[in-house]
Formats: sequence, C-alpha cells, structure tokens
Amino acid sequence: MEFPSKLISDSVEVFSKLPGIGKKTALRLVLHLLNQPIEDVRDFGQTIIRMRESIKYCKKCHNISDGEVCSICSNRSRQKQLVCVVETLRDVLAIENTQNYRGIYHVLGGVISPLEGVGPEKLQISSLFERIQSGEITELIMALSPTMEGDTTVFYINKKLQEEQLDVKVTMLARGVSFGGELQYVDEVTLSRALATRLPYE
Amino acid sequence: MRIEKLNLANFKNYPELMVDFNKGINIITGLNGAGKTNLLDAIYYLCFTKSYYQNSDSQNILHENNYFRVEGAFCKDTDPDAAQNTAISVAFMKGKKKQVDKNKVVYDKISDHIGFCPLVLIEPDDVQIIKGGSKERRKLMDTALSQVDREYLLAYMKYERTRSQRNALLKQFAERRTFDENLILGYDQQLISSGNLIYEKRKTILAALNPIFLDFYEILSGGKEKVEFHYNSVLNDLSFEECLLKNREKDRIMQRTTAGIHGDDWAFEIKDHPLKKLGSQGQQKSFLIALKLALHQYLKKERNTNPLLLLDDIFDKLDVERIEMLLKLVTGEDFGQVFITDTDGERLESLLVNRKTDYQHFKINSGKLL
Repeated sequence: MEFPSKLISDSVEVFSKLPGIGKKTALRLVLHLLNQPIEDVRDFGQTIIRMRESIKYCKKCHNISDGEVCSICSNRSRQKQLVCVVETLRDVLAIENTQNYRGIYHVLGGVISPLEGVGPEKLQISSLFERIQSGEITELIMALSPTMEGDTTVFYINKKLQEEQLDVKVTMLARGVSFGGELQYVDEVTLSRALATRLPYE
Repeated sequence: MRIEKLNLANFKNYPELMVDFNKGINIITGLNGAGKTNLLDAIYYLCFTKSYYQNSDSQNILHENNYFRVEGAFCKDTDPDAAQNTAISVAFMKGKKKQVDKNKVVYDKISDHIGFCPLVLIEPDDVQIIKGGSKERRKLMDTALSQVDREYLLAYMKYERTRSQRNALLKQFAERRTFDENLILGYDQQLISSGNLIYEKRKTILAALNPIFLDFYEILSGGKEKVEFHYNSVLNDLSFEECLLKNREKDRIMQRTTAGIHGDDWAFEIKDHPLKKLGSQGQQKSFLIALKLALHQYLKKERNTNPLLLLDDIFDKLDVERIEMLLKLVTGEDFGQVFITDTDGERLESLLVNRKTDYQHFKINSGKLL
C-alpha cells in the first residue's frame, strides 16, 4: 500500500507488527487515532510506555505484578503450601477465572523446546526449586499444555525432584472429556485416554 | 468407491475435458505425451488433493492460464443408485489458496479430505521402492498405515516431533559442552511410547499383507520363485529403552538420534537374496505389483470399500504371460474400478476381449478425447 504521508505509513507499519493485525486493520486504527483529540492520543501512547517500563514480575511466582510481590502471593487467605505450575500469565488468568483455586502459582514462562532454543535454564525452573527447598510447599499441580513439550517439561521437573530427594507431591490436571460436549465429537486421542484413566462413579 | 464422471479445466495439457467412466475396467491409450498419465493424476488429485508427480500446484495449470479445476463424481461401489453421488472439486488459482470442496461445501482443512477415497497407483517409477533407500519403502508402508489408522498417524507425527526436539537438544549439548541426562530421558520416554506403538502396528500390517502378497506373486510369476517380505526393525532384538541407552554416547557424538524405528526397513528378498541385487527387472516389477495389489486388498478390507486402482504404463518390462495374469487378477471380483494406460491400444484390447470383461476404451491425443 502507498500512502501520501510517510508518517502514516510508518504508523501503519508499527501497528501491523502486532499479532492479529494486518495492513488494512492497521490503517483503520491509525486513521481512527488521527481523528482523536491530541490529548487522548498522547495519553494512549504514554499509558503503553508506562506499562512497558514499570511492569514488574513477582519475585516469588514470576507472575506479572505492580509490586515486588503479586497480589496472589501476598493474599493471606491463599494456601501457600499448594502451588500450581503454569506456562504463562494467561494460564493464571484462566485458572483464576474458575474461582475455585485457593493455592498460589509458579509461572515458568514457557515449556522446554530445544527447537526454539528454550532449555530449562531459560525457564523459571531453578527458582521453583528454590521455593520448594525453602520448605513450605507440599504439592505441585502441573498445569502445562497437554503437548509433547509440556509432558517433557513435567517429566524433567519430576525427575529432578526425585534426584534432589525433595518430598513434594506432584499432581497433574485430569485429561479427558470436557463438560457439556457430546461424546461423538470428542477426538479419539482424548477419548481413548479418558477411557484408560476412567474414574469410579461417585 | 468408484469415480463416475471427471471434468477438467486447464489441468496440465487438458484445456477442458468431460468424461464418464466405466464402473469396471477403463483403458486409456494414446501416444507419448498425449496426456494418459495426466488423466490418472487428475483422479489422484481428487483423492489426495495434490499431484502424485510434483509438489507445486501452479505447475499443473495449463500453459498461459491462471487456474485449473478438477471435478469428479464419486459413488460407493456397493451403492447402485447413481443419485447418491458425492461431488468433489479441487480448484487452484495463481496467488490464491487451493480450494477443495465436497458436495459444494468447502473444507476448512484440506487434509480432512484425504482418505475419503482410497487409491492405489502402480507406475514405472515405483521401481525406486526397490532400488532406492529405506526411506522409499518406509514411506510406502507408512502411507498405507496412515490411510487406515489415525492412531498410527498421530503416533508417527508425535514421534517425528520428539525426534526433532531431541536432535536439537543433542546439538545444543555439543555446542555448549554440557549434558543433562534428565532432559534426554524426557524425550526418550516419549520416543519409546510412540515408537513402540508404531512398531506393533507395522508388525500387524506385515502379518495382514504377507499371505495376500505371496498369493499374488505366485499368480503373477507362475509360482516358481520363493519370495519373502520382512520387517527389519532395531526393536526385533532389543527393547527401545535398551536401544536408546546403548546408543546414547553415539548420539552425543553424532548430535542426532542415530537408532530407532525411524531407521527401520522393509526387506524384499528373492530366493533368500536381496531383490535389489539378484532380481531381474521383470521379477522386481512382479514383486512390486504383487505388493501394491496386496496393499489394495488391505485397504479394501480396512476401509470396507474398493480403492481405485490406477495402473500407469506397467506393460513396460513385463512379458505377455505376466500381463495376462495381471489382467486376470484385476478384472476378477476382488478388484473394483481399474484404470490402465498404454501406448498400444490393440494389444490391450485383444487381451481383454479374450477375458470377456466389460471395459471401455478412451483414446487420447494432445489433451483431447478422440
């Protein structure tokens, strides 16, 4: 696309680098901003800069936080011996949305994937072990993606726990048929796994 | 399954073509370059959404055009009612995404269409399966297994993904001069679980194919030669776990996973010797045809429908006796719709007339039906 102004084309370029935004949407957003009062646009830009500059990661769980320790870790009513291990902030939000979890978290920042250059040292694994060694934790809930990479990461953490003889219970999220779905539409891998790990009727 | 109608537009050397096929034998004859193989490739396109011969869709567009379309009407061969047709169309336009639709409903994922209609193609280049490396033979068998068994396909994809992660890890270990056993073990146990499943399923297909294959070879060759077809796997002698442990040092030096079911081979033997070395061209060809016909029967049983059988120019290098045997087989009740190409129509027709089979003859010249 050719634009009469370099200022416009630069802005479009910047917006289209965002995930899910193509050139046309980028142009729409730029033209929208152009029609806004200058104060609003200034405020918009500064909010984003402030967000990027002042955001912190909780020094305990590595979740995104405004302070040194995040609101979940500093919440007194949370059970500090129960830790849910997740990949990213988005997983924390998903579990928080259930409003059923009363423990705390540990955000790894991803899963082990040598193809993308992600080894255990690039993830918050050693900090997880420090937390466990400090003694308060009794159970780790592994809530990683059910992929080959997720499974390898769980295997690795579990193996290291055994090696260092740390006495922590390791559990995993159950895998199987989702609520409200129809059985006929469940894929065969999930269904065969659900059959293999079936539960007694309560 | 069978294909009743085929319509082409700008496909390879066909500007346009409308043809109704016979439900049994279809023979397609014409000079070299007339478009016999292209017609078979169009049928292949409707089953696998791509060309057998080349990967690029744009290469299949007729010169100086910007799109092609292949349409076919399929029906279950158990279903005599022609009104129950399923219309499949594959269309490609330069600069756009290929579109595949079934009864005018566009597929979201093109790969979902694969397996709709099973197909077995026998063609002159197949000889690479015997003469080439083990990769060609694995591909043949893996494709057959993937067509009938989704669990196999998923295990295979998981195995390959794990193997690339493990190889990347071995490379990093070597570059950084480190080693972490726990990490390698994480990949090993995933390779073991998917690898064992692949191994067991490959043994199952061998057991299912072998008796049919031996029967077909005997018929084709007149039953004089002893042939064998084995599955040679590293897991025949030791468990996958032992195999990975044994090769760990070697893997570290080579920076890749050196041993595993990804290196397995299918051995073809004649009179206890490798077919590649000892077999004559005719014997190799008979072996291949028997194997592919056995795959046809295997697909038929597993999918509960007759796969299409495409025989491209196989009369090359087979003697008249073997050709007669082959025609006797494929015109029999075990096979459904068959397409045969040849440059010499009269030779083929005289053999078919003797068999008193119902057939239809399509003569082709430069992308036109005569």
